[in-house]
Amino acid sequence: MTDTRLLHTVGVRAIEWLWAHRDGFRLEPDVDPEIGFLDRFKPVGELALVCKVLFREGVAGSRQAELARRLLDHVWRETLGGGSMLVRGQRTEPISPIPFETYLPFKELGYHQPEIERAAVLDHRLDSWCAFEVTPTRRLGLSAFQRRFGLRPRPPEHEALKATWLARTPEPWTVEGHIAYDVTHAVFHLTDWGENPGGLPPRLADYLAVWLPVWIDDWLDLRRWDLLGELLVVDACLPRPTLDERAWAGFAEAQRADGAMPAVREMPDIADPDELFDAVYHPTLVAAFASTLATSRALAGLTQAAS
Amino acid sequence: MKQSGTSALLQDAVLDMASSVASALRGGGHAPDDITTGGGPSGDLELAAARVLGADLVLPTVLCGIPPTADRLDLIRRTLEAFPPRPEAPPTVRWSHWALRRALRQADPSGSGSDERRPPEPDAAWLDGVPWPFLTHQLAVLASLALPGQDCAPARAARARTLDVARGFVRAVRRRDWLQAAGAGRWLTLLPDVPETLGLAAGLDFVELMGGDDPRVLLQVRAARLTGAGALV
Repeated sequence: MTDTRLLHTVGVRAIEWLWAHRDGFRLEPDVDPEIGFLDRFKPVGELALVCKVLFREGVAGSRQAELARRLLDHVWRETLGGGSMLVRGQRTEPISPIPFETYLPFKELGYHQPEIERAAVLDHRLDSWCAFEVTPTRRLGLSAFQRRFGLRPRPPEHEALKATWLARTPEPWTVEGHIAYDVTHAVFHLTDWGENPGGLPPRLADYLAVWLPVWIDDWLDLRRWDLLGELLVVDACLPRPTLDERAWAGFAEAQRADGAMPAVREMPDIADPDELFDAVYHPTLVAAFASTLATSRALAGLTQAAS
Repeated sequence: MKQSGTSALLQDAVLDMASSVASALRGGGHAPDDITTGGGPSGDLELAAARVLGADLVLPTVLCGIPPTADRLDLIRRTLEAFPPRPEAPPTVRWSHWALRRALRQADPSGSGSDERRPPEPDAAWLDGVPWPFLTHQLAVLASLALPGQDCAPARAARARTLDVARGFVRAVRRRDWLQAAGAGRWLTLLPDVPETLGLAAGLDFVELMGGDDPRVLLQVRAARLTGAGALV
């Protein structure tokens, strides 16, 4: 069992870095629509999801929570133009799920953009939405987001789950990087990003309890911090998290003093601030996510032990 | 240069010997096992190679019932005499020597120079409570002890930690350590309650596909299949 202070500090530092580099959450309004105006929404949506976890778990210190709130206000106002950029994205690609996916966590946090909501309701009626070709894991995520929005998921989540890699509990020695990311995201969607660990079917929780330690050991030694962070999130979503001491020590050690988490091995040598942001924002967000959930589970364990 | 040349010769000798045993195990042991029938290494090199392969030298006898040749038994006797484990030798070396003594006793119970009694077991405390990657590594080094119906302290340690050995198998495959994976897989064919999701049979096929160019890997995979299929001992 890892020292709770170490778990917590990783997240505190990560939020400090994200706040200091908040201008990196940027869209490219002038980009050719054919190239993809929507591509840059991903970091914004992920930030909102992780901040929601941070508020929900209630283990953040006052400064960390304050920075997270200001970060969200910043990206909603400055990056998304109060939601108007989501509308623009939706009008650029009406059937794309990206504006909806980005919007949902903001809505859950109290932000509001009526036109996106109307589009979400309309899309839900379209066969084209169901037929839209995405990976099985993302399809599971879209169904989960529809439920969270208040719609009846199409397809139902239990149907969407069947097509994922994880649902088939395949040979664990075949896992490589892409598969591992599919596994972590399937768990995120099934548990509503750690909010509801009971959403993970016992059969899958048992499978992960057996094999996750091997994958954590492997990607720790490979120093692939982004994926390791996501695997540590999965661990924190299990009925009995290991909060593996060696993995967390390595993960914390990889983090820079300013809170940035390299994706792989060391920090990249990049001078351009935007390029550097793009290279490390994701592992840093994941660090905040993993830290918050692991701290929460560690404290819950202490509470149970004391009662 | 001389040392590296010698070690390359030893490596070749080990591979030749492993290849011969692996061939004998193919299809349940119907192919000839001809390590010592000409063309093989001789003298010290042969003994050193036999020491590396250890008790697996008599696998065709143990698993397939093929009577050992007199040359093979003589090779084992000479190897045991030439390399008695030093007191400070690591546990895997002491256990390998023990396994070879046991193998000789079983392959040639009435032979001159072989112990009538079961050799006393070396200490096995070094495996107590070790992390699963180390446990698997050590067991894979001692894969020649993984035989159906043959008890010993490392086998008991393995039986108590099936899940850890299964994790070690996955770890070895992920790291492309085919020899360790094959050794761990061989142990797993003997262990109770192997998780079904491991996919051991396909895993062994995968190890053979990816690492079977190495006769030592091939030997372990074939041994695993035979033990998994309930080969005689």
